[in-house]
Amino acid sequence: MSDAVVSLECPKELERVPLVTSARKFPWITQAVSEIVENRTPVWWWVLFLPLSALALFGLTCIGYQISNGVGVWGENHPNGWAWDITNFVFWIGIGHAGTLISAILFLTRQKWRTSINRASEAMTLFAVMCAAIFPGIHVGRVWMAWFLAPIPNANAIWPNFRSPLLWDVFAVSTYFTVSVLFWYTGLVPDLATLRDRAKSRVVKYIYGIFALGWRGSNRHWRHYEMAYLILAGLSTPLVLSVHSIVSFDFATSIVPGWHTTIFPPYFVAGAIFGGFAMVLTILLPARIVYPKLDDLITRQHVDKMAKIILLTGSIVGYAYLMELFIAWYSANVYERAAFWNRAFGWYGWAYWCMMTCNVVIPQFFWIKKLRTNYIAVFIICQFVNAGMWFERFVIIVTSLAQDFLPSSWGHYSPSWVEIWTFAGTFGIFLSLFLLFMRFLPMIAMSEIKIVVPEADAHHKPSTAH
Amino acid sequence: MSKRVIIHPKEEAGGRKYWRSLGQLGDTPEFRGWLEREFPQGASELEGGDVSRRAFLRLMGASSALAGLSLAACRRPEKQLVPFTRGVEWSIPGKALFFATSMPTRKGFSPLIAQTHDGRPTKIEGNPLHPVSGGASGLYEQASILDLYDPDRAREFKHAGKAISAEAFEKSIDEIVAKAGDGSGLAFLLEESSSPSRERLRGEIAKKFPKAMWAVYEPVGNAAAATAAKATFGADVLAKADFSKANVILALDADFLGQDSATDDTRAYAKRRSVDGGNKMNRLYVVENRYTVTGGMADHRLRVPASQVGAFLLQLASELAVATGDVALKTVLGGAPKAAVKFSAEWVKECAVDLAAHKGASLVVVGERQRPAIQALGFAVNAALGNLGKTLGTVKVQAKPAASIAELAKALDDKTVKTLVIVGGNPAYNAPGDLDFAAKLKNATVIRVGTNEDETAPSATWHAPLAHYLEAWGDGRALDGSYVAVQPMILPLFGGWSELDVLAKFAGQPKPKGPELVQETFKQFTKTTDFATDWPKFLYYGFQPGSARDASAPTLNADAVAKLVAENLSLPAPDAESFEIVLTADSSIDDGRYANNGWLQEFPDPVSKLTWDNAAWISPKSATKLGVANGDVIEVSVNGAKIEIPALIVPGCADNSLTIALGYGRTAAGRVGSVAATTEKYVFGDAMVSGGFNAYPLTTSAEPYIRVGAKVRAVGRNYALAITQEHGSLEGRGGDLVREGTLKQYNENPKFAEKFGMDAHIPENRSLYSHPPLNDIHQWGMTVDLNACTGCGACMVACQAENNIPIVGKRQVLDGREMHWIRADRYFASGPNADGKYDQETDEPEMVSQPMMCQHCENAPCETVCPVNATVHSEDGLNVMAYNRCIGTRYCANNCPFKVRRFNFFDYNERQIKELRKWNLVSERGMEDTLKLSKNPNVTVRMRGVMEKCTFCVQRIQEAKIAGKAKGRDSADVRIPANSFTAACAQSCPSEAIVFGDISNPESNVSKVRSGPRAYELLKYLNVASRVLYLARVRNPNMKMPDAAKAAAYSQPKHPHGAHGAEPKHGGSQ
Repeated sequence: MSDAVVSLECPKELERVPLVTSARKFPWITQAVSEIVENRTPVWWWVLFLPLSALALFGLTCIGYQISNGVGVWGENHPNGWAWDITNFVFWIGIGHAGTLISAILFLTRQKWRTSINRASEAMTLFAVMCAAIFPGIHVGRVWMAWFLAPIPNANAIWPNFRSPLLWDVFAVSTYFTVSVLFWYTGLVPDLATLRDRAKSRVVKYIYGIFALGWRGSNRHWRHYEMAYLILAGLSTPLVLSVHSIVSFDFATSIVPGWHTTIFPPYFVAGAIFGGFAMVLTILLPARIVYPKLDDLITRQHVDKMAKIILLTGSIVGYAYLMELFIAWYSANVYERAAFWNRAFGWYGWAYWCMMTCNVVIPQFFWIKKLRTNYIAVFIICQFVNAGMWFERFVIIVTSLAQDFLPSSWGHYSPSWVEIWTFAGTFGIFLSLFLLFMRFLPMIAMSEIKIVVPEADAHHKPSTAH
Repeated sequence: MSKRVIIHPKEEAGGRKYWRSLGQLGDTPEFRGWLEREFPQGASELEGGDVSRRAFLRLMGASSALAGLSLAACRRPEKQLVPFTRGVEWSIPGKALFFATSMPTRKGFSPLIAQTHDGRPTKIEGNPLHPVSGGASGLYEQASILDLYDPDRAREFKHAGKAISAEAFEKSIDEIVAKAGDGSGLAFLLEESSSPSRERLRGEIAKKFPKAMWAVYEPVGNAAAATAAKATFGADVLAKADFSKANVILALDADFLGQDSATDDTRAYAKRRSVDGGNKMNRLYVVENRYTVTGGMADHRLRVPASQVGAFLLQLASELAVATGDVALKTVLGGAPKAAVKFSAEWVKECAVDLAAHKGASLVVVGERQRPAIQALGFAVNAALGNLGKTLGTVKVQAKPAASIAELAKALDDKTVKTLVIVGGNPAYNAPGDLDFAAKLKNATVIRVGTNEDETAPSATWHAPLAHYLEAWGDGRALDGSYVAVQPMILPLFGGWSELDVLAKFAGQPKPKGPELVQETFKQFTKTTDFATDWPKFLYYGFQPGSARDASAPTLNADAVAKLVAENLSLPAPDAESFEIVLTADSSIDDGRYANNGWLQEFPDPVSKLTWDNAAWISPKSATKLGVANGDVIEVSVNGAKIEIPALIVPGCADNSLTIALGYGRTAAGRVGSVAATTEKYVFGDAMVSGGFNAYPLTTSAEPYIRVGAKVRAVGRNYALAITQEHGSLEGRGGDLVREGTLKQYNENPKFAEKFGMDAHIPENRSLYSHPPLNDIHQWGMTVDLNACTGCGACMVACQAENNIPIVGKRQVLDGREMHWIRADRYFASGPNADGKYDQETDEPEMVSQPMMCQHCENAPCETVCPVNATVHSEDGLNVMAYNRCIGTRYCANNCPFKVRRFNFFDYNERQIKELRKWNLVSERGMEDTLKLSKNPNVTVRMRGVMEKCTFCVQRIQEAKIAGKAKGRDSADVRIPANSFTAACAQSCPSEAIVFGDISNPESNVSKVRSGPRAYELLKYLNVASRVLYLARVRNPNMKMPDAAKAAAYSQPKHPHGAHGAEPKHGGSQ
């Protein structure tokens, strides 16, 4: 074999686009990520954090008011037993899907580009699930009796009703949250150790030290770490699919026209990924502006890929919307037909068309590569998706309940100020927690990203170009 | 009520003493100190390590024995339950006692049974032994229990606004009586009553004060009917229709099933409406200006302004005069004025032909508030049809004629009345608008005995609380004239006097302490020789058997009728620009007397479904013309009198005709009924005003009910109207939900209703869930006969009283949170328009009513979704709610296809309506003491955050089961006898539309009805297997009538079964 035939050089056109641009080296990565935590708190952080935490506190006050007076301070009524509460629950739990999908499914499928976004998206997932968990908790009439949901063996032998999808929700969401926290924390350990080692103050060193669990980066540590990470990724993967399927069972197993639909599980999961990625981008794109160094880690390539996922899942969701309409017509069932007719042209038709525009039409712009890589365009489209996904849940819940079987029982719903501010408050909670996360934890997985730079490859030949 | 302090008596010195320890025996200070400590001192010995088993047990024993004496922090507050020191005769704790009594209404006394628990009445039922009631009762009887416990009732005797003692009041009365001389200057104003004792006292007062004036006033009375009957039949009588004998009925502005109803009329009508048991079904024609429940039952209905009913009757009478050839009728018509308007000739003619074809078995009823000439003409028509003495009789009026309020007003004006005694009533509020009665009251010294300190109270120098009928002895006559007893169930809560007490004082007698006054009347009335036996019997039955006055066969005085018709039949020409105003009693608060009754305020009108307010009903066409939408305030002015009131578009109203209910706009009704009383403050947003608008200013003493020539204009404001049913159209779902056919259809195929709507298409149902077995010996079920149900709503209030259902207030009703466990769904239905759409604003839709309550589905969708097992199925087929277990996810309500589950969005029982949204930590909690007394002790009072719904009156079921087991002792035969009890709704239903019982017992009524051909299950395709079956409604249209094809058309399958060709548009099939 002659040199002419076999070349160790990879042909230019087959060379992978680097995941970290500007050929950054290990120390640069460590510095770029750690300095976010280590530098003085910037002014913009306080400017954001103070109003957002005030909003969070006001939301909590609204919750306190609602718990002490009753669900009546909301706008719900007969027949609209659920409205913004469960809409918000499904909205947040949907957002909480992207993180684990990125960290688990993309990990198992060896999508290396995930490494620079997985930490922040996982954190976002946790905060979104926290916001989501608020709503089923407080929407019940007697919050102080909510422990009845737990399967506690007791003397009078009353168990929860295992046939109820709401109970499945309790198990699904709590399992998902637990596994997500473990997964996130496991991934954090090496980075926490890095922060510990870099810390200048004893107190900070001590605190990071506790959470770093004595990580020294030994071979054994890495071996255990990677095994645990793989197992947790394996555990999380089915959860990504199951949680939103089970949430959709709340509706699908009922008999309410507009809820009673077998298409719901895949449609909800697709919708969750759709909305989740939009929220990841909503948060990371501004983060790249305030921390310009992150440009080399979260590149246009990442944004482009996430936009493609949004386009795919958005189209799945759009297909589901149309299929629902078709099945309603094809069923020849008066009630099903009326439910979907009302969805589009009834009292809340405006919400339906908001949803259709935001979720089906606008993401189609992502067919254009120029828009996929234009940060401003992506950010704007993601806002439409965020709004559209909220409207999707509102449309499903309220239009179906407001007009069901007996026309005598039809009734309008409109939210009260308490509901509106409670929802706004969850945004305050979500964003405040994310800001805290940015200040105190490495928002990009340093250890993982180092694995994907060329330097990490044992066969890597240090380039001489620069 | 003051707090009861329980002080244990000191133990007697010489008695035998039981002691728990030597310490106690010695009563040493150490022992006392030991008692007060949370843990006995010895408990610390445990830590010493020297713990013998015996020492441990001893200490534990001491700790737990003393736990009851220590002041532990986390215990509920102590409440003392004190037993009767001596057993009260007949009283078994937890067992209700039932007594017969009767309730005064303006038409007569309503015979009742009152249920009492520990001496407090909690529920009213009809007296099943009495022929008028037959066990049924109406809305007002059911709601009267709440009036008794109304915390806003007058509580004090007052003189010039200052509280005085009852003795001082009595003394003042004595002085007034002593000074009254021959009674000139003395006047009495009372409400209509048929009490013989009152008549007797009136006679005595008349003897003592021959010049005293005796006036009687009812704002919505039957004065016109009395005038007409007197002119026609020449005696003080009132007409009494017998619906059990009428095959064809024409009702002219007569709501004989609704506001003008009597339970016996409704029952008689419903019996003849039946298609079962070989009955020949009757036919009902209704001519009216607005939908009434009677109109809803009609086979043929004609919209006619109320002022044109005379013209209609004239046209009909002319047809009948030809058809029957009756000479008297021709005489009457000879002098009649000519009507300016002609009605559909075909309609009138075919109706006349039908009536004439049923001579002696037809009936024409004219509304009591039509002019006497029109009512008299109606009698003449009945006479021509040979109905007198058959379907139409007369009953003698009991009371002697009295002065009218107009005469009293004139006397007050002339200052000939110096002392006016007003018992009950509320003339300052409800006297005709042209009298300005409130101002005239200043001309006399007023002694008022009234239920509330209402609008009339400020005019009174002396004001005393009036006893409720459940607090006082009395007597009266039922609608059939039978002599009934009024027995008190409880001492007057606020020390009130009864009407008889007041009159006895003026008759110079002492205030009666017990029944002696009524007993005296009883002796005179029955001429009893064995009082000791007859009196208890009278009380036991609640009435004197055989005392009813049979309707006598009257003879028509044709000349008198002719004269009345010629002189008094006014036929105002309709005018496209002006409106007529029809003033009616309200379907819930009547003439305003029940304004402070929350159950009635929140009772939705059977037709408009409006609560908490009144409104001007207007036809869709007139509303379009005026440019008003629901709730837009309009100004109505007629002859200078002017009011502002929101408009409410109600299909089926005549054009240019406004119907306004009286009784609202009260300023001093109490916390519930006064205008703005139920204001609920919103943190952001406007306060909510309720209480309605006073329409009495539009009434005059000459024209109290129908006024023509009114001007109406929109004032450009909107007023929120709390309507419980937002949507009245069936949306083309009539075939599924309300099944209806014609008599012809029924005769061809009695099972015509079996396969309607979705049921015609569905494959056999299968369930994915397995359910616990239904293996009790009893299986409870219910049927609702849509053919009999008029939609009157007595069931709703009966249920509210039985099951401690709270009211929620106007704001909450607007938010859609009313709590009724049973509701009467009302649909306006019509066949599809030319474009295939269903429009609820057509001018002449049919109206159908459908009571809706928990269907107790065997495959209940609510049960599978409840995460905490708070709603489960019992072995006897009940869908039961465990309130303690419920956490309030509302998932069950979402999954209920019938939307009958009711959620406690707020703590409605513990919070004032206007403070629901006030931060819980700063607002007051707790129920009024008197309202606590009104609760049924066998039903849990629910807290906020839990779901509730119809239980099939599970407390009654349990009571019957326990009784069955007690009776069966150790035998296996513990089965409850068929039809031995029923649910509250079924019990009150005057038309017997609701039947409840054990469906596993073939002897029970409900089993028999269920197996009938008309039974169908709502939304069967959902496979919920409901335990409530509905019986399809049958209409009996006259096929020759021009509108015959309309009957029940909305409910019919659109395409013959099997032909599934063209799919109809969305939501609009079948």
